Amino acid sequence: MICSLDQLVEKVLSCKKKQKIAVASAQDDNTISAIYRAVNEGFAEGILVGDLSSINETCRKKDIDPSRFSIIGTESDTEAARLAVHLAKTGDADIIMKGLVGTDIFLRAVIDKEKGLLIPGAALAYVGAVEIPSYHKLLFLTDLAVIPFPDMNQKIQMAEYSLEIARTFGIEKPKIALVGASEKVSPHFPNTADYAQMCKMAAEGKFGDCIMDGPLDLFLACDKHSPEIKGVRTPVNGDADILLFPSLESSNPFYKSLMLFAGGEIAGLIRGTTKPVIVMSRSESEKSKYYCIAMSCLMAQN
Amino acid sequence: MVLKSLSDLRKIVAGGPMRKLVLAAAQDQHSLGAVIRAWKDNIIEPILIGDKEGIQNICASNNYDIEGLRIIHEPDMDMAVEMSVKMVSNKQADVLMKGKIGTSTLLKHVLNKEWGLRTGSLLSHFALFEVDTYHKVIAVTDVAMNIAPTLKDKISIINNSVSCLTKLGYVMPKVAVLGAVEMVNESMEATLDAALLSKMNQRDQIKNCIIDGPLAFDNAVSLESAQHKGIRSEVAGDTDLLLMPDIEVGNVLYKSLVFFAKAKVAAVILGARVPIVLTSRSDSEQAKYDSILLSAAASK
Repeated sequence: MICSLDQLVEKVLSCKKKQKIAVASAQDDNTISAIYRAVNEGFAEGILVGDLSSINETCRKKDIDPSRFSIIGTESDTEAARLAVHLAKTGDADIIMKGLVGTDIFLRAVIDKEKGLLIPGAALAYVGAVEIPSYHKLLFLTDLAVIPFPDMNQKIQMAEYSLEIARTFGIEKPKIALVGASEKVSPHFPNTADYAQMCKMAAEGKFGDCIMDGPLDLFLACDKHSPEIKGVRTPVNGDADILLFPSLESSNPFYKSLMLFAGGEIAGLIRGTTKPVIVMSRSESEKSKYYCIAMSCLMAQN
Repeated sequence: MVLKSLSDLRKIVAGGPMRKLVLAAAQDQHSLGAVIRAWKDNIIEPILIGDKEGIQNICASNNYDIEGLRIIHEPDMDMAVEMSVKMVSNKQADVLMKGKIGTSTLLKHVLNKEWGLRTGSLLSHFALFEVDTYHKVIAVTDVAMNIAPTLKDKISIINNSVSCLTKLGYVMPKVAVLGAVEMVNESMEATLDAALLSKMNQRDQIKNCIIDGPLAFDNAVSLESAQHKGIRSEVAGDTDLLLMPDIEVGNVLYKSLVFFAKAKVAAVILGARVPIVLTSRSDSEQAKYDSILLSAAASK
């Protein structure tokens, strides 16, 4: 079982497979450095798509040998995004990654009905794996980036994506908490009705081998003492592997508070596509980007 | 003045007259310890209303020395609450605290039209967090009271909080209106409200503070993040008060700060004639104590 982001890297290395990563508008310091590190360690090949002179300039600035990558020149960010998607579509790339292109442009290319990578009928959702000093294991979070207010169908898919990833990390029977403000199903919180139905589906085996419960507040989900203090019986029992959030409004400040105030480190990727898609904000560190690459390689290997 | 830590509240309390705190239905294991500790530390003068024998038994089994403590015997819980609230409305007490009764029972009496503690303002929850990784205390509202505040509610919530911060010594506190993103997005109502609140603040419709929003959490508390995004804002990276879009978001953030970031927290209900302390079983002993401290400091 993978219990930390460094163990994730070890696992990917031990598979001795190389994944081809196409980066759209790759002329970004942290992105190139992260890809270079993955290439050097032997689990990735980099296909850098974007402005040729900027890519070469960025490599020079970072003292990176550009001949270690395949580099394809494009005229615009839109073209770079489309080409990266095309490479994945045709099998020339296993993973695509956003570089210095805007998320809108990049995702538009990803979800294009004919030329994109979206699985028909699937929702795109971001699943993150966070390592937090104050938690006893990795915590998977969804959705962190795409769906502002997921409906029930989207929540079901978010659950499926995160369960698949948790299982790939070696957690046989993941515990998934459907996060709310309290443990009570209430008409004031429409999400809690979705949660109740999903738990019923889980009991019927819809989500495979897992433990699902919700609504649960964060304490009941993650604090081992909380179920007893509150007198609430829940099979998740303060030991959640996965937190599924009702909105981006709640998940976004949550994971950012972990990063900024609780010493958290995150890796993540977008699901709902035929190949893993990495979208990270420009401001993310090289290390975060590197972990994202490792996580996507793990998912591509399996 | 800006609070660097929750213990700074001690300085505020030390400057003024002793505040009287009335504990409603005081036969409560979970609040008595903190109240007695605050009493011994000269932060408040408690008045315990409730079942005298129950109170004495709890104190005896915990070895609390209650010599000189004022206890009013009222075994009926509902009556005890009513008496407590009336004591506040008669200006015989400065702070109200919930003992062994449900929050809704307490609020029913607080909102009583005849002798309740209404001020015309909305009641709202206000919490102060001390986190090692932020350069000062950060206030967050509303994480526990208002489920889905409207724009009008949000104005009241800000006014309650700013008025409290002002009592704590803040001048023009910086208010960040939280969103999932820092852009106004027509499909996320919180970002629209944030834009309106910011503009209303510019036009002096909401006074005594500087409001900016929407700001995503990282922009609100990290100047580096804000600069990375090219956000120009007086508030970004230096937030004193963070306004939540709704309780679902607030609850998650509050618990994240307490559980994952190991924050110290103090909380109080604002908008009534006096601060109200509502602590729950899951609050630590220290959090209960700090909440009493906050309520005393905010009851000027």
